[in-house]
Amino acid sequence: MDLLLKGGILHDPVNGWEGPAEILIKGDRIEAVSLSLGPVEVPVLDLKGKIILPGLVDIHVHLREPGEEGKETIATGCAAAVAGGFTAVACMPNTNPPVDSKEIVSYIKERARQVNLARVYPLGTLTRRLKGQEIAPMWEMAQEGVRGFSDDGRPVMNSGLMLRAMQFALVLGLPVISHCEDLSLSGDGVVHAGVHGYRLGLPVIPAVSEAVMVAREILLQQKVGGKLHLAHISARESVALLRWARESGINLTSEVTPHHLLLTEEAVDYFNTSAKMNPPLRTSADRDALLEALQEGLIEIIATDHAPHRLQEKEADFLSAPFGVTGLETAFPLLWTKIVEQGILSLSELVKCLSTAPANLLGVPGGNLAPGLPADLVVIEPHKEYAVNADKFYSRGQNTPFKDWRLKGFPVLTMVGGDIKMWEGKVKGFNQDFPELKGLFIKQGSK
Amino acid sequence: MLPKDMLSLKDFSLEALQEILQRAAFFKKKDGDVFSSLKGKNIAISFWEPSTRTRISFELAVQKLGGRIINFTPEMSSEKKGENVDDTIKTLQSIGADALVFRHSSPGIFNRVSELVEIPFISGGEGCYQHPTQALLDIFTLIESGVKLSGRQVVMVGDILHSRVARSHFYTFPVFGASLTLVAPPVLLPPELVPPGVNWSYNLEEVLPSGDVVYLLRVQKERQEKGLIPSLGEYAALYGLNEKRVSLLKEDACLMHPGPVNIGIEISSSVIKVFENFYPDRILFQDQVRNGVFVRMAVLDLLLAGRMI
Repeated sequence: MDLLLKGGILHDPVNGWEGPAEILIKGDRIEAVSLSLGPVEVPVLDLKGKIILPGLVDIHVHLREPGEEGKETIATGCAAAVAGGFTAVACMPNTNPPVDSKEIVSYIKERARQVNLARVYPLGTLTRRLKGQEIAPMWEMAQEGVRGFSDDGRPVMNSGLMLRAMQFALVLGLPVISHCEDLSLSGDGVVHAGVHGYRLGLPVIPAVSEAVMVAREILLQQKVGGKLHLAHISARESVALLRWARESGINLTSEVTPHHLLLTEEAVDYFNTSAKMNPPLRTSADRDALLEALQEGLIEIIATDHAPHRLQEKEADFLSAPFGVTGLETAFPLLWTKIVEQGILSLSELVKCLSTAPANLLGVPGGNLAPGLPADLVVIEPHKEYAVNADKFYSRGQNTPFKDWRLKGFPVLTMVGGDIKMWEGKVKGFNQDFPELKGLFIKQGSK
Repeated sequence: MLPKDMLSLKDFSLEALQEILQRAAFFKKKDGDVFSSLKGKNIAISFWEPSTRTRISFELAVQKLGGRIINFTPEMSSEKKGENVDDTIKTLQSIGADALVFRHSSPGIFNRVSELVEIPFISGGEGCYQHPTQALLDIFTLIESGVKLSGRQVVMVGDILHSRVARSHFYTFPVFGASLTLVAPPVLLPPELVPPGVNWSYNLEEVLPSGDVVYLLRVQKERQEKGLIPSLGEYAALYGLNEKRVSLLKEDACLMHPGPVNIGIEISSSVIKVFENFYPDRILFQDQVRNGVFVRMAVLDLLLAGRMI
């Protein structure tokens, strides 16, 4: 439907917009953006006191479907996405079966189309069955629409194979996303090799297990020169290597998660499984290095690594509880409250990390509200404070280490392709009382 | 007032620990007397990891206090079959257990499952995390043998990384006033593991002369199989207490080991013989085993009696 957004403050860094704006939406597109559009014959939505941003894009999400629908489905994951202000997500291929053929890619796209909430960009595996032995049919999956390749969760230990997969992805023009972990160094580890993990008597995942693979990927990238993206950087050693890569003119991108920016290994005391993830939470020195890298633009993307699990799985013993935390519904309020309000990044810088840069990496629209582009946007309530309540998540995963954190900046409206998918916490198709939208609007001129 | 459970000695104040030790001394002094503080009580003993001395010592402690034992030892394969710790614990309580003594290989599991029941939960060893009664019986043995802990140096040698005994002693030795020095090859002694105030070294010969107590830890064959060390022989060459290194010991240094001893690895058989024949008061291995019963009697007595009041 056509609509005028009025009274909000727009932050659109690509178009250099940082201030009050009226946005006219026609169909699924942005029609015009201006300080004042004058009288228009469309319904008006008053967004006084709110902030409007390009829709958030998460390039690292586990939607679990097909195969692990008890943890999450494409429907619940997409509801969580729009509830958290994400208009697009790239879903990791470590499903069951893994996304290593055009059939699974098309299944995910079809499900996402039916669900019709966030845009879903499937990623395909690098190797068949995620086994790290043979390169997956990358061309076939590219034809079907994958936006990149990754064996996330299972690093490709064979360097020769990784090199050849990167070379093939170069031809297809798609990014390779590497989960950097040398399994011979991390073994059966479950926590960072730091003071807390060792004292708890738990097997450890040392920072160097990440860093040696970051180094490998950088050197392979120097040779290949395609699109390389390093997932969830967690260690200061890795940051140092990224700096070296930049100084050496090697192009690549990398991401950091909100939990690695905001938490440290302390969060696992005593045996708190909601803080068990891979890579693990590391030291405050690591966290500081990540924050600094983000400020410098050395790490340019924030991704959630949304990894939902059943509650009873996470309530197991620390050794057997699965890795991972949910992220979609907490990411923006966390980053707004702890990163923007603390002055670590400006809002426009955050928008680049959460919207523009990830959209560019995937080669999809997003992160940009220029006229003619899809009307994917999110509206934020910057002042009201709420406690994180996992019981209210749309995600099936309630595994968050941020339970009860008091945060501001919760999204109040998410629009995908001109259609309002979330309004004040209610998701279209998920809440009986999702509002009849006509009632929300005031007609231009009527007061 | 003592805590309900004994999972980690960190939950016990120095005074509480001393109370347990005094009680253990009382039981040892009165050994042979009939006690009845566990009369009519059922103590469930469930070890999900192989053990001889700890389990037997708990069983004997229960019997000496007049209690009954519910012995639940899962088949080593039944855990894989889905034998479930949570269910077992709830079942044992329902069946009428008044306390649980548990051993399990998963660090942190007791934190969680002890919450599932109201009765006292006593750790008989928890993964690489804690082994509280072992630490207590070590302290008891040292005090009994006349070693004042305050101001003394304990040198602990061996597989620190995988040792729940070491992790328990990170609390007990300092709280009783002793200083602790850890010695192991780097792979078994990550610096991050070393608590503040504790010293460490990769070189045994360098620290051996300072030890009033030399506490040897078992190095399992598994460490060689997993490739953490080249071989047990190479470990012994660098960290074993052999005849050459014995000459570095203080004149009155005591030797301890939580058992079972790998003779020829942590300590050579000739060193054991020399000590057993000429300095029997300075090799405390058997005293540790013996005292385990009295210390566990004290723990059971105080944790269960404390709850009756």
